[in-house]
Amino acid sequence: MSEAVTKAAAEAVIAAQAPGTDPASVPGASGARQFWRRLRAQRAALVAAVVVALLVLVALAAPLLTALEGQDPTTYHPSLIDSARGGVPVGPLGGIGGDHWLGVEPQTGRDLFARLVHGARVSLGVALAATIIQIAIGVTLGIAAALGSRWVDQLLSRITDIFVALPLMIMSLALLAIVPAGFPRPVLVTLVIGLLSWGNIAKVVRAQTLTLKGLDHVSAARLSGWGTWRIARRELLPGLAAPVITYAALLVPQNITVEAALSFLGVGVKPPTPSWGQMLTAADVWYQAAPQYLLLPAGALFVTVLALTVLGDGVRTALDPRAASRLRVGTGRRREHRADTAGEKETSS
Amino acid sequence: MRQPSLTARRVAAVSVSLVVAAGAAACGPEDNDAKASGGDSAPHQGGTLTILNRNPQQDFDPARLYTSGGGKVPTLVFRTLTTRNRENGAPGTEVVPDLATDTGRPNKDATEWTYTLKEGLKYEDGTAITSADIKYGIERSFAPELSGGAPYLRDWLVGAADYQGPYKDSKGLAAIETPDSRTIVFHLNKPEGEFPYLATQTQFAPVPKAKDTGTKYEEHPVSSGPYKVVKNENDGERLTLERNTYWSAKTDAERKAYPDKIDVRSGLDSSVINQRLSASQGADATAITTDTNLGPAELAKVSGDKELAARVGTGHFGYTDYIAFNPNVKPFDDIRVRQAISYAVDRSSVVNAAGGSSLAEAATTYLPNQKSFGYEPYDLFPAGSTGNAAKARELLKQAGHPNGLTITLTHSNSQDFETSPEIATAIQDALKKAGITVKLQGLEDNDYSDTIHDVKTEPGFFLAHWGADWPSGGPFLAPIFDGRQIVKDGANFNTGFLNDKSVNAEIDAINKLTDLDAAAKRWGALDKKIGAQALTVPLFHPVYKRLYGEDIRNIVISDWDGVLDPSQVAVK
Repeated sequence: MSEAVTKAAAEAVIAAQAPGTDPASVPGASGARQFWRRLRAQRAALVAAVVVALLVLVALAAPLLTALEGQDPTTYHPSLIDSARGGVPVGPLGGIGGDHWLGVEPQTGRDLFARLVHGARVSLGVALAATIIQIAIGVTLGIAAALGSRWVDQLLSRITDIFVALPLMIMSLALLAIVPAGFPRPVLVTLVIGLLSWGNIAKVVRAQTLTLKGLDHVSAARLSGWGTWRIARRELLPGLAAPVITYAALLVPQNITVEAALSFLGVGVKPPTPSWGQMLTAADVWYQAAPQYLLLPAGALFVTVLALTVLGDGVRTALDPRAASRLRVGTGRRREHRADTAGEKETSS
Repeated sequence: MRQPSLTARRVAAVSVSLVVAAGAAACGPEDNDAKASGGDSAPHQGGTLTILNRNPQQDFDPARLYTSGGGKVPTLVFRTLTTRNRENGAPGTEVVPDLATDTGRPNKDATEWTYTLKEGLKYEDGTAITSADIKYGIERSFAPELSGGAPYLRDWLVGAADYQGPYKDSKGLAAIETPDSRTIVFHLNKPEGEFPYLATQTQFAPVPKAKDTGTKYEEHPVSSGPYKVVKNENDGERLTLERNTYWSAKTDAERKAYPDKIDVRSGLDSSVINQRLSASQGADATAITTDTNLGPAELAKVSGDKELAARVGTGHFGYTDYIAFNPNVKPFDDIRVRQAISYAVDRSSVVNAAGGSSLAEAATTYLPNQKSFGYEPYDLFPAGSTGNAAKARELLKQAGHPNGLTITLTHSNSQDFETSPEIATAIQDALKKAGITVKLQGLEDNDYSDTIHDVKTEPGFFLAHWGADWPSGGPFLAPIFDGRQIVKDGANFNTGFLNDKSVNAEIDAINKLTDLDAAAKRWGALDKKIGAQALTVPLFHPVYKRLYGEDIRNIVISDWDGVLDPSQVAVK
């Protein structure tokens, strides 16, 4: 159909479909407000967002917080454990008190609060960095497959299929075991997770790009002589933002669990750097004698993954045009939104 | 300093066992008489003993078993020329006669050993045990298809190096003579004063040639001990033993054999074993384990419960966990660097990482802290309990490292509290105070053991451990420090590459001694001499806490292997 459209008409279509005018899928300046409004409407997502924000804050401020407590994550406190009883912490609830807010670790007497908040840095840092790598690879290959020639598409899609089919844990274990010890471990874990598990996001992006490619504003842009790169950047990426952000929000908790599992299996970050997964490994035998030792990293992991998942779901609901249209059926509502966005435009300008 | 506490602990363990036995008697519904008499702790015959283990009794053939002192379950079925002393209260590390009338009569230079069998010894089918059967049993262990035993016989017997066993070479080994049916003579190619220790291993159990079924013999080996194999499922995963009526307590001073039946169940997880023993439900009330001890967390839980704490026995086994250096790798070629690390080590945090003071004793000697090893207390680089960082810095300065060092510590990733990450992290923390930055290199368990025992890949600084085949200085020191035992291709245990003529000569001289007490003293002195080279940093000797079911009595834990002896316990 787009073949019949003249160049002028094409420009018009582009103008009509330009970022910011489709409230359902495009987070332009006003789209962002729309998005926040929808996100705020979901109470669970809001709570989750607050929790995630707090966690990130705690992770960033870990050295400050431990300094406030007067402890650090690696110092041994042999006087706080009962050596004759296997090294169980002295005192009630694993030695919780003014000096050690969450008690101390059995066998070493290291401060658990310090280890937990420093562990958050590893867990969240690795998960976020790995997610960025996954998105970068997934989006690049997805768009390239969708816009490239048939041959390129076939090749990239089969490569993507291979990565989707890879058993992530087994591959990670193998890779982490063979890399020399000198390589910085958190970076290595980030790279392994990031480079191995981008297959699904590439598939989503490719599918979405194929859909967008058929839309009038993209065809018009092509007809008006734009290059592939410019089209991808100006016309496709804004349309891809919704599914990509949604997917990313769900990838972060998944990456946290993978990092925890790898550390649990002893191939993640190295001691004495604390991570939640590593704390879980050491703590699993202590569940009867020192339950708080196991409950702290397990609880932290649970809360983080739950909050991120709920938030991810909220983001999806706020961005997904189909979910949105399910919520607001009928053109009347749609027109109302347009009126809204127009109004916002005015106030913002 | 450690010796008194050790004795105190042992006394405590004995008194605990008495209390428990009394308690168990009071609880037992069948022991009404005992209850009336206020607690009869005397053991009685009868009942079924359950053994809950991790590892199956694989290849249950006397030729294929690799045991220390005749083993735990194997010793119930196989009698050997000599065996370990199991009398309660005795040192428990001595060799005593078993099938033989004495521990062996050597010639002047200990190259020839003669044994005489007791009278009236019988197999489970009532036929007599002869010296020819013992010779045949040893010859079988040379057959390639029956491999698995210790390598000593091949190294020590004259002309045995290339012997392929009786199936290929029916002439047999000329080095073993049997002048009559009760006498057996061994001819060795070098003096070996410790031959009586070797004669405790199951390769010295009699095998009747007529009943030998080759590789299938392990399904039903012919018993010479108090029990015979009734059922052997899944290659020793479940083993059922019943009384051998032809065994006589009159010829066997070491085995008490109180239970009528023994049910060995293996393939269990160690936490499951300890959980089942602490719950003591049903058959588990009369259960023990011969291969599992309490871990730190389990000890913490058990010691918080009086009833459970009373059911824990303490065992020692000649064993040392240590840091090893490879002097061919810089900077460990400099003895001052090795000494600095010896001074900087914080043994109290290492002991805590190993499970605390109840599960490990700080070590400053390479030899275990037991008399039979010739233990002579010494502390050549006194680090105190928490390390001497100042002295370490001074030595590093002398060695040309005024700004400290960065080194890599290789350890295994297995969770064994011996060479595991916890121990490595504790060392890392202690050396930090002396200005030494330690990077950790954790290897998978198999990879770790291949890496440290190959001269081409051996790291410079790593965690290691060593236990001996019998409680004496010989098998503890010779494989690690005898320069002639450096293996260029294959598994090398002399990881410090020590090849000192005077050390090698002293090892040869001690091997000639047949007075084991005199030999022990010289092993102790040799250990101290080697210790000055700082090729190792001894860290700790493990202590084993063994939990047992609530109806178990007559608890005997010998210091030979540190395990609850199944040949001594009673369930009634």
